[in-house]
Amino acid sequence: MQTRLFTGARRAWLAALGAIIAATLLAPVDASAATPAGCAALKEKYPDWKGKTLVNAINPHTPGYESIDPKDPSKYVGFDIDLGEAIGDCLGFKLTYKAVTFAALLTTLASGQADIVISDIYATKERAKAADFITYSKVFDGVLVAKGNPKGINGINLSLCGAAAAENTGYVEVPLIQDLAPKCKEAGKPEPTIQLYDNNANCIQAILAGRADTYINDVNTVDQAVKAYPDKLEKAIAVTIPYSVGIAVPKDKPKFRDAVMAALIEVQKEGIHQELLKKWQLDPANFKEPDILTAD
Amino acid sequence: MIAVGTALRAFAHPTHLPGRHMSLFLHYLSMPYLLQGIELTLQVTALGLVGGLILGLILAAMQLSRFWLLAAIARGYTVIFRGTPLILQMVFAYDALPHIGIKLPAVLAAGLALACNEAPFIAEMLRSGVLGVDRGQLLAGQALGMTPAILMRRIIAPQAIRTMIPAFGNEAVSALKNSSLASVIAVQELTLRSTQLASSTFDFFSIFFASGLLYLVLTGAISVIQLALEWLLDLDRTTKQRKLADYLPWRRVDLATKLELAAKTSPAIEAAPPEPAELKETPPLALSIEDRARRAATIARNNIAVEVKHLRKAYDGNKVLDGLDLTVRIGEVIALLGPSGSGKSTLLRCINHLENWDSGEIRVGGRKLGFDEAGRKLTPRAIANERANVGVGMVFQQFNLFGHLTAKENVAGPLRWVHGMGRFEAERRAAELLDRVGLSHRADALPRHLSGGQQQRVAIARALAPNPSVLLLDEPTSALDPELVGEVLEVIRRLAIDDGLTMIISTHQIRFADEVADRVAFLNGGVILEQGPAHEVLTNPRHPLTARFLSVMEAERPKDAVA
Repeated sequence: MQTRLFTGARRAWLAALGAIIAATLLAPVDASAATPAGCAALKEKYPDWKGKTLVNAINPHTPGYESIDPKDPSKYVGFDIDLGEAIGDCLGFKLTYKAVTFAALLTTLASGQADIVISDIYATKERAKAADFITYSKVFDGVLVAKGNPKGINGINLSLCGAAAAENTGYVEVPLIQDLAPKCKEAGKPEPTIQLYDNNANCIQAILAGRADTYINDVNTVDQAVKAYPDKLEKAIAVTIPYSVGIAVPKDKPKFRDAVMAALIEVQKEGIHQELLKKWQLDPANFKEPDILTAD
Repeated sequence: MIAVGTALRAFAHPTHLPGRHMSLFLHYLSMPYLLQGIELTLQVTALGLVGGLILGLILAAMQLSRFWLLAAIARGYTVIFRGTPLILQMVFAYDALPHIGIKLPAVLAAGLALACNEAPFIAEMLRSGVLGVDRGQLLAGQALGMTPAILMRRIIAPQAIRTMIPAFGNEAVSALKNSSLASVIAVQELTLRSTQLASSTFDFFSIFFASGLLYLVLTGAISVIQLALEWLLDLDRTTKQRKLADYLPWRRVDLATKLELAAKTSPAIEAAPPEPAELKETPPLALSIEDRARRAATIARNNIAVEVKHLRKAYDGNKVLDGLDLTVRIGEVIALLGPSGSGKSTLLRCINHLENWDSGEIRVGGRKLGFDEAGRKLTPRAIANERANVGVGMVFQQFNLFGHLTAKENVAGPLRWVHGMGRFEAERRAAELLDRVGLSHRADALPRHLSGGQQQRVAIARALAPNPSVLLLDEPTSALDPELVGEVLEVIRRLAIDDGLTMIISTHQIRFADEVADRVAFLNGGVILEQGPAHEVLTNPRHPLTARFLSVMEAERPKDAVA
């Protein structure tokens, strides 16, 4: 399954074109697609959210998952957006979006300024202290480097010793890179340094400006960057990361968590999840049946 | 579809042709999505500035208040909100307040944080603006019977606001830029929209140049508003010689223009010292011995105008007044002589209740100052009303004209604000008084365009306007150039002899005292050492200290240019 990870990457700029055409053409299809059969029962079982409008906090800097629509910037588009709306359809709620920095996603949820977070956020035990997660996707990271990979970086390993890595504040990759410091020292090499930014665009610019040597993040994000700057950037390699992507919900609302999980199962049963992966040119290998991750 | 196609090609094939960058730049510059972001940027900025102004006013009032606890609370607030980064305050207002049940929409939370952050800066501007207003003018306003509220509204605020406008402009620009921090709490303002757009299109530089230009347009607009306000409030604008063009950035003649302007609008200064048109000729005023005796006999029968009994006052243990007694009858002119620090000025200020005293009693027109009918001490506001009712006018050494008002308004304004006179009547009275001091032709001049002697004559007119029963003059000619002393003394002399006005004058002009005063009192160490008919005391002092003082003054005489 892991062998077909990078099909999307090979399609060069056609993929971008495809994505946008798909977004335009598939939208009506989605709308007409019948709500999964089991959803009627779910609406009866969980009536609290029927007819409501909930707030989804997102960090819209990840094209493919969530970003503004370049053609109509008043809209957000991406896999996560569609998946969230499919879940909303199933339970009978609508979503509005609140754009925040990545590091503020969970605090926004915890303060009640948002009801749900579907924003390509990796579910970790640490983060589960702030929110409950319903995991829905496996994680594959890409290692973005300057064209030609001058530093010869080939993963989250000793090849990073002495390199400068751009990362977003709050990303799980940050501690993984930090953990390399003692190992590099042992090997008699300089430690890697980390530059913390606020969004993908800034991390990518850091490499383009020659300030950073690499940016390790979700493989799709990395592919998008390479597509945008094919003469200047490349993906060195892809790595697996021992996490899953999750939908975050408030800790004090277990009923809502169960409702969202039940809805996600219905959405997956209908094949909508796989359809959306295809629509957004994401690897079908990302697909994962939901689990719940909590702090205890 | 064509626009979409262009965007798509740009998305897929970033090129480095300047032409493409330029067209992308123009595309983003006119993009409604970014332009709508400006609306939110302006909303947050406006909330921050208006809220900051309101909070700042409260803070400044607390800091300037008589109550130490209010001042301490304001100080504590300032330490916290000036000392922490705005970005933390934004996150706090947005993410922490909901935990205590206050869930503000993002724009309001950002506006609140910005307002709380701006408030201490605005308060400092207000405070320094208020403290920057000349203290002498405040004293003069108080002496005219203005309550603290009138003083703030008519004298302090108009002058303080003028000096604060450049600082307000700076603050507005910084608030506008700081509003971009609202992007961390999901306010869809210009910066957040730009970064989102950059993330989804990868047109990083075109977008940021466009949004940078939009910010420049906004801050430029603020600068234009600031300059327009400066121009509108420029006092010299009314002379019609001040052009808006003087404010253009490449003008570097500002100070020179102002000096030139002052010179142009004050022809009186360089005119020959005697101004024939100004003061009407009167016969020389040398009262004969018989005249003096007759005058003294009349005054002796008059009622008491001012009575000071056992007045004591000390500053930090230094006795300034040490059980001073003085009685002044209606129509009498008293000259207070004595070395500096002998208590002359303090005595005058006490008679007008500009200062409190430790013990003793002052009665003006039979009314005891500083206490209400039940014997309670008066509040500052009640003291102001008392001053207005009792009718004690005061003229200061430094003139203390209200700098933002014309000569006529200096006289007419207090009549309207303190005595409730109608506009027409007040202006008529002002015109009449300016005529009396020979300054009708300078009625519309600002104080800074008048010579010292002219300013002091306006100050006298202002003090006379409410028809005071007593006029106090605190060294009225000491701050004047020698050649300007004569015109002021002439005005005072006429008030004494023609109008029979009751006056207490502290002065160093011995000869003037001899000519004009009925009685001279020599002060030393806070008591009256010697007093009596002017000519007698001055020519034949009994107390050795008086004699020594007079001989010293005599020795310095050549310096007095009194004709």
